[in-house]
Amino acid sequence: MKFQIEEVTVYFPYDNIYPEQYTYMVELKRALDAKGHCLLEMPTGTGKTIALLSLITSYALAKTESPIKLIYCTRTVHEMEKTLAELKFLHNYQVKHLGAAAKMLAIGLSSRKNLCVNPTVSSAENRDSVDAACRKLTASWVRSMAAENPNQPTCEFYENYDRAAGGAVLPAGVYTLEDLRAFGKEKGWCPYFLARHMVQFANVVVYSYQYLLDPKVAGIISKEMQKESVVVFDEAHNIDNVCIEALSVSVRRQTLEGAIRNISRIENEIDRFKDIDAGRLRAEYNRLVEGLALRGDLSASDAWLANPALPDDILRQAVPGNIRRAEHFLHVLRRLVQYLKVKLDTDKVEKESPVSFVASINSDAGIDQKALKFCYDRLHSLLMTLEITDTDEFLHIQTICDFATLVGTYARGFSIIIEPFDERMPLIPDPVLQLCCHDASLAIKPVFDRFQSVVITSGTLSPIDLYPRLLNFHPVVSRSFKMSLTRDCICPMVLTRGSDQLPVSTKFDMRSDPGVVRNYGKLLVEMVSIVPDGIVCFFVSYSYMDGIINSWNESGILKDIMQHKLVFIETQDVVETTLALDNYRRACDCGRGAVFFSVARGKVAEGIDFDRHYGRLVIMFGVPFQYTESKILRARLEYLRDTFQIKEGDFLTFDALIDVMNIKLTDRNLNQRQAAQCVGRVIRSKADYGMMIFADKRYSRHDKRSKLPGWILSHLRDANLNLSTDMALHIAREFLRKMAQPYEKTGSTTGRKTLLSQEDVEKLGNNGAQEMLY
Amino acid sequence: MSSGQVTKRVKYKTSVKDAGTPGRLSLVKERLVFRPNNPNSASKLDMQFKYITNHRYTKEGSNKAPMLNLTSNQGASYIFEFESYEDLHICRDFVGCANLMKFGHKGVAELLHRQQKLQILELIRKFIQNNPAEMICSSVQGCCKTIDYVLHSELQKLHQQFVGGGVLTEAEFWATRKKLLEKDANRKAKQRGGLKSSVLAESKPFIDGRTNRVTFNLTPEIVREIFSEKPAVHRAYLNFVPSKMADKDFWTKYCRAEYLQRSKNIAAAIAEAAEDEELAIFLKPDDILANETRRKIRRVDPTLDMETDQGDDYSHLPDHGIFRDGSKEVAESGNELYQRTLLQDLNRHAAVVLQGTPIDEEQLKDTQTVAEALERSKQERSTASKDDESSADQERLKGISQAMTIDDLRGSNDHHLAPLWIKVLSVLTHNISSTKYNLGKKPGESLLDSLPTSVRDELLHHHISIEELMKHFWSSYPITNKYLNTKVTKLKDEMSKMDSQLQKLKEAVQPDIRHQITLLIRPMQQALEAAMQHYDAEQQKRASKAREKPNGYS
Repeated sequence: MKFQIEEVTVYFPYDNIYPEQYTYMVELKRALDAKGHCLLEMPTGTGKTIALLSLITSYALAKTESPIKLIYCTRTVHEMEKTLAELKFLHNYQVKHLGAAAKMLAIGLSSRKNLCVNPTVSSAENRDSVDAACRKLTASWVRSMAAENPNQPTCEFYENYDRAAGGAVLPAGVYTLEDLRAFGKEKGWCPYFLARHMVQFANVVVYSYQYLLDPKVAGIISKEMQKESVVVFDEAHNIDNVCIEALSVSVRRQTLEGAIRNISRIENEIDRFKDIDAGRLRAEYNRLVEGLALRGDLSASDAWLANPALPDDILRQAVPGNIRRAEHFLHVLRRLVQYLKVKLDTDKVEKESPVSFVASINSDAGIDQKALKFCYDRLHSLLMTLEITDTDEFLHIQTICDFATLVGTYARGFSIIIEPFDERMPLIPDPVLQLCCHDASLAIKPVFDRFQSVVITSGTLSPIDLYPRLLNFHPVVSRSFKMSLTRDCICPMVLTRGSDQLPVSTKFDMRSDPGVVRNYGKLLVEMVSIVPDGIVCFFVSYSYMDGIINSWNESGILKDIMQHKLVFIETQDVVETTLALDNYRRACDCGRGAVFFSVARGKVAEGIDFDRHYGRLVIMFGVPFQYTESKILRARLEYLRDTFQIKEGDFLTFDALIDVMNIKLTDRNLNQRQAAQCVGRVIRSKADYGMMIFADKRYSRHDKRSKLPGWILSHLRDANLNLSTDMALHIAREFLRKMAQPYEKTGSTTGRKTLLSQEDVEKLGNNGAQEMLY
Repeated sequence: MSSGQVTKRVKYKTSVKDAGTPGRLSLVKERLVFRPNNPNSASKLDMQFKYITNHRYTKEGSNKAPMLNLTSNQGASYIFEFESYEDLHICRDFVGCANLMKFGHKGVAELLHRQQKLQILELIRKFIQNNPAEMICSSVQGCCKTIDYVLHSELQKLHQQFVGGGVLTEAEFWATRKKLLEKDANRKAKQRGGLKSSVLAESKPFIDGRTNRVTFNLTPEIVREIFSEKPAVHRAYLNFVPSKMADKDFWTKYCRAEYLQRSKNIAAAIAEAAEDEELAIFLKPDDILANETRRKIRRVDPTLDMETDQGDDYSHLPDHGIFRDGSKEVAESGNELYQRTLLQDLNRHAAVVLQGTPIDEEQLKDTQTVAEALERSKQERSTASKDDESSADQERLKGISQAMTIDDLRGSNDHHLAPLWIKVLSVLTHNISSTKYNLGKKPGESLLDSLPTSVRDELLHHHISIEELMKHFWSSYPITNKYLNTKVTKLKDEMSKMDSQLQKLKEAVQPDIRHQITLLIRPMQQALEAAMQHYDAEQQKRASKAREKPNGYS
């Protein structure tokens, strides 16, 4: 359909639209008009992504005089693929209705690991080895060597791409990673470098958060993005965590040992160079004297991870004299590693501020703050000079230098915490020195400053007023939308008792009770026999899941479950989990039906959708908890209190990391974000339906339950608050029967329209949207 | 099938003993053409089906080659030897169908008379089943029409009445027909039993409690499961048995390894594996499986591929990011080499079950047979299905991108063509037909037979048309779009017409049979009434809604 929002003609690839989507677009347009940032919350299942993409691309089409670029950030690569699929659908529609004028270039960008088509390189084990294998073939010095020596292997895809030079362009279209690879293979061009090159010309770029938030990556990928860009952070409820992680480094014993090996290897290289090409080291020294850390014209294939500090905080000064000479720099590194080693060798927890830490390095190891700050640049320059390509071998020393640079750059917003062992496993010594960032606003500040509009959106952003404080920005629009449902298509239940009427819980004193384990098992056995297609189960932790599955296996419960559905399980191996998920979907698609066992904090809970028949029922076994005594968490809370006057209680309710009231009693607490994530992905559209069972007696208490997101609570009827297995079974049967009935999709029977046709939207446009809807 | 063209590789023979000329047999709408591979060969053939009077074929299961023998009206016979029975059956059906068409109305009627009704029905069913509704519509003018019309003269009448009368479109008419016939056909498809969902090999070892002896029970079925889930064990079996060790020794070793595995005694497992290299094979991670995993991960649905996330994640470089804030679980590290967990086994098992079994129940005799049968089918699969796999993946990806769209925002595409099986309708039809047959005074003597032929025919025709109307009417609810609304209105008009026709019929008949006629007509009228009441109620509901909210909004 095609409709007007003020002066912008919006091309929306469906015949109907939800009223929420319409108002969402109206608000978004206001933010774009005001060239400001905005914060929009809208529940899952309302087609947020397509609304966002439609409005922004239509906006760009309408304002041809000042073209805007869309930078769309997703948390994961598979979310990126989903977004690109929706964009493709939209683009096809727009081209069909507008012709060539609507053509645009949209690309997804990822690492070499996901884009490389050179079989010798892409077969490498992990990301870092792929990066290194690529550098071995494409680094500038390797290529100049190959010019003289034909036996020197190079990458034909990169060479072809380089030869095509300006001619290597992507034609308009929407490119997923697979499309990029296919295009690269067909043309013989390297898709990775092609995509990186095309980023500056593309109308839409989709990549993960880090490419904008992590200075190490943003420094190479996102340097040249224009100011007239709209940046979208989708599923942004965890954005503060991504921000603080981007600026945090931890040092462990393995790191230090690896770093020592790296230093010796560098030393050998220096000696070798002294013998064969001493001039090169001298040239580097002279360059550093002139104040240039790196040659200005670094070729793209040489680029390494960038400086870990934020661009504004990097000093544009000459590298200090005491680390200019390669040998001197190595001495400094050695002393630093030695100092950290001593620090790590402690048997009690220590917490320090960066200022005092730097001061003690200065007094104990004789390394001043400025030298620390330049560690990253100096190391980078040295590795380039030494023409080192197997960069994956040097990650340890890089970690140490990143740490030094960060600790030398930031005096506030960070702390250094040394822990001799994980407090949950005090018998296993595993000392770690962590430089952790507490201030999420640091990493995101350059993004807010640089780009015209930043849109932060998610299904759950409550309380919505906390985000501007956490991230320190001023949104021009901050709105939270409710979902209007055509029918009661979600059915949450709280199950407190098993089939024998005894309470069930994962509370510490009950979790290993065989009665509880059996009751949980019986619940699932009953449910698999009545619920069609897919069922997803979440457990509070891997170890709990592992234990319960093993005991179900022993007692034959698992066999009963398998009578009805196939069983797939999330494991700690990502590849295996991915395959299990893929098979799970196949089993749901072909009608065999399956159960997926997953973990509340696991990767699956974080980003995989169980919509439509992939999740007709979600069972949350127990209350997900987090270890709340963590030193880092405590330090962060302290910092938030002191700097932003965010009260501990506020943040914790918001983050729902801990339930302050009950901290003494249980130590284990409901995490709103976690629980919401697990169950919040059952609904894809208003035509979809699904049930959720919260199986723990603690959910019947108001204080626990109230931490669930509002859209779930609003569907939780009082009658469903305290169920036993047989009652839940009855309700599930009734619900499924009800959902199977035909219904009026537009919702006109309930009084408020939940689906708008072209006609309705036009009316809205004339009468002003607000009065009509609210 | 019949509407398209079929080309098969065959050998053309003039007699059964003839060696035959290899070439291609093409069956087009009205003719069959044989082209020899050698263009110089004289044995070309191009003839119309109408000259063929009879066809015979070899039965599957006989040890003869699959052959089709066509006899022309001049008495000459043409024999084609096919490469497989499958090809033969396709061509046989084609010729059969074509044959029917040739007979035209009369011919088919004659065949029907000769009680070959079932055969013909089967042919038609296949035709309709294998062609999409649109195709059938377009070829209605052609062959299918003839057959269907002749076979169901009622159908012809219905078609004329409703499609000709503009009540229904061609597509609507045939879509319903197709589904109804499909239902019968599907029942007959032979299904192969799949693997059992439960893990057989996990069945507990038997421990007698007095001695340290542990007994494992292995049946061929379990062996099949082990072999398909653990290809390395399968390979080891093929390599070792019987050349290197006896069947029994092999399984003893295997069970020993399983026992070590299950008792989680990693230290003992490592020690024993170091001494016994065959035992080590069972304990080592499966390399064939690992390769398969690597191959599969590349073809996984990109919207759930979490492996790519790992490859993209730069903030979790080793030691970057927050390492210990209590949110990550503490992983127990162990000797990975010997850590195969129950969870992994369950995943693997479910994957194999989902994939389906390549061997039949009949082959479950002993381990040797199972091992060999599995190996054969594996080889077949690996050579044959590479292309299939990639195309299937393409299909799947397409499906995924379609799944990305939001269903209820779409305008309805062809939902109005989907026939619904509605309970009300089947109950009604059942009532009607039962009254129809139960009204007779004596068992075996139908009331219908006592009526004059003209009246009876008219009555039956009315019944069938009402049934057809009802099917379309009820399957249009709920009305979700304009299209359905207009369709229902049209149907409703037709129904009232039908009602008055019934009334007329009732009045026109002789008084002595009027009572019986009334009894027969009543269920039909009831059906019509029920539908019209429903229609009125719905219409009222909609109207009142529209009144309440002039803007369509509140």
